[in-house]
Amino acid sequence: MKLKKMMALMMTAAMAAGVMAVPAFAEEGDSITLKWISQGPGETGWEGITPPILEAFEKETGIHVEAEFYSFNDLFEVIETKCASGNADFDVVSVDVTYVSKYGSSGYLEPLDQYFTDEDKAKWDEASYTAGVWDGTMYAAPENTSTQELWYNKTLLDEAGITIPENDAENRLTYEEVADLAKQALEKLDPDGSRGLIGLDFQQVSRIYQMNMLPNSMGGANISEDGYSLDGVVNTEPWIKAMTWYQGLVNDGIASRGYDADQLPDMFYSGKMIFMVGGTWTSTGMTCDDEIGSTYAPCFEGYEDQVATSTGSWYFGINSQSANKDAAAEFIKYFTLGAGSDMWLEINGDVPSRLDKQEAIVNDENASEIMKIAAYEAANTAYPRAVTPVFGEYSTVLDQAWEDVRNGADVEETLNYAVEQFASAVASQQQ
Amino acid sequence: MGGIYIKNKWLPYLMIAPTVILICIFKIYPIIQSVVQGVLSSDGGLTLDNYKFLFADKAFWNSLKVTLKFNVIIIPLQIVIAFLMAMLVNVKLRGIEIFRTILYLPFCVSLTISTVIWQMLLNINNGVVNSFLGLFGVRPIGFLIDKKWALFAIILISSWRGCAYWMMFFLAGLKGIDRSVYESAKIDGSGFFSTLFRITIPLLKNTSLFVLVANTTANFLLFAPVQIATEGGPQGSTDLLMYEAYKAAFVYSNRSRQACIVTILLVIVIAVCVVQNVFMKEKEA
Repeated sequence: MKLKKMMALMMTAAMAAGVMAVPAFAEEGDSITLKWISQGPGETGWEGITPPILEAFEKETGIHVEAEFYSFNDLFEVIETKCASGNADFDVVSVDVTYVSKYGSSGYLEPLDQYFTDEDKAKWDEASYTAGVWDGTMYAAPENTSTQELWYNKTLLDEAGITIPENDAENRLTYEEVADLAKQALEKLDPDGSRGLIGLDFQQVSRIYQMNMLPNSMGGANISEDGYSLDGVVNTEPWIKAMTWYQGLVNDGIASRGYDADQLPDMFYSGKMIFMVGGTWTSTGMTCDDEIGSTYAPCFEGYEDQVATSTGSWYFGINSQSANKDAAAEFIKYFTLGAGSDMWLEINGDVPSRLDKQEAIVNDENASEIMKIAAYEAANTAYPRAVTPVFGEYSTVLDQAWEDVRNGADVEETLNYAVEQFASAVASQQQ
Repeated sequence: MGGIYIKNKWLPYLMIAPTVILICIFKIYPIIQSVVQGVLSSDGGLTLDNYKFLFADKAFWNSLKVTLKFNVIIIPLQIVIAFLMAMLVNVKLRGIEIFRTILYLPFCVSLTISTVIWQMLLNINNGVVNSFLGLFGVRPIGFLIDKKWALFAIILISSWRGCAYWMMFFLAGLKGIDRSVYESAKIDGSGFFSTLFRITIPLLKNTSLFVLVANTTANFLLFAPVQIATEGGPQGSTDLLMYEAYKAAFVYSNRSRQACIVTILLVIVIAVCVVQNVFMKEKEA
């Protein structure tokens, strides 16, 4: 009987402990544990490269940061699910630039104006700072920005006996030239397709972030000025021509189908792709010993004056339900303006949003060619993504359109369908 | 001797109370909440605008069409295959238990994992299925990226696992048929097909009705393979209503649209099940 009582008591105590167990952000004595949800799982992703920054932050402030990493697509769903239900079990969230307006207007993010002074805000370039602002309120702080370059596998090109023509910012390679070089290389290196080589592709295939730079490079816009329509924007000549060109690339066997944006970059990193349009972080992802190089992003023939490169990147926001907003703000400052930012830019090789870092690259004779090209593209050819509070609908509809065209759908039919789908999807939201 | 005598007439209600409470919390309440949310406006008043927007949406009609097409194919397909599998493993044979286990094994793999495995098998670039077909000179087929194939690929993925599950119900039904009925039929000179259509199938009516209703519900609510393998594409060819509801809730944050879709799905499932019940009872009469 005594034993039974003892067991019952222990079980009751255990249950009580369970009920009273506090979430990860709770304070333990004097120390605070923050929970950060982000993208980039895996050793080569953010999960693998951010621990030194988190450790340094803890050393400096005593605040421990527990990070949880999700794949790119999953993160949006996780944020949506957690925030829509008022979940308070995380403090800091990585926000893709395109979602700042949506999360800000939905009340998911805590306004940051109280934590960042005007002096702090002036440390970022104007484009990066304003992309974190919605309706006059700052909701997110830029981790870095991004731009695109044309990457190539020198080892494969040497094997094929192909030399890339001289080019520079004023005299770029055209997409048509690059496709032709890729075709020549494939004919020599993999005539029967048994090596599984890809000629030319896009690091973020079927994602508007990168694919939209094709119609943008022909003068096409991303969305209507009010941010609620695609009619007269995507069912236009630049989009039709750009998508038709891309579909031809796939049909000719130069670009791939069947790989998604999480898988495709690995083909370049492992030496299976000859040309890839990709971000500055590409060189850090290489897993084979092949020599690679990069140059300015291509343009289309006849549109040399309309070069467009994708831009914008990740931001940090504070969960509006967080119990540790001050500590979260401290962490974000450290990662976006402080020593953490220095470490991050060095480790990840992204294009800085901080003006002092941008100037340092421009003035540094020893800065890498990759970063010099990136700084030039960011300043001269960067094309902002669509700004709209219905970005979820926008990206879902157009990501699918790019993927459908890649898989053989009729271009004009697909774009018209996208216009209708988007109109339907936003109709009830506008009400 | 005999059963347990229950003195307290409330005891049975007390015993089933936890189940009833849990069903109310996790099944009935969400259903009611969805139905109510579908007719609420953003300011909390009653409105039919949410349905008006939904019915004006081509994506919804496409999704409804795809869902009906999917179910018209998959429900009879799964039931027939499951029944044939059950017949196959109902024979008296040494070691038949091993075959039963093998045929049931697919159901032991989670739907998510089996979808990922099938996704790899059906990949256009390096999938085993295309490699095998390549041996016969067949060009790679985009099973999951070609709109002509994608819905059938989803049917294949779901049925690989589903047939194993429904087979067990048919097998249990077959085991419940008295052997003496078959023996009498045999003495009367009944052949295989005559026995099948005049004895086996009629005696499996209750089992069939259960499988039909449960299978209909399961397939109308299918979601995971679409979300993992095709995301509703290519060109909306696998955009089942459940996936459309998921997108409304978790991608578009449009809870009222999601509530409307789920309510419509509920009405369709109830209607189909009622028709199935009536049809089976009519046959009985």
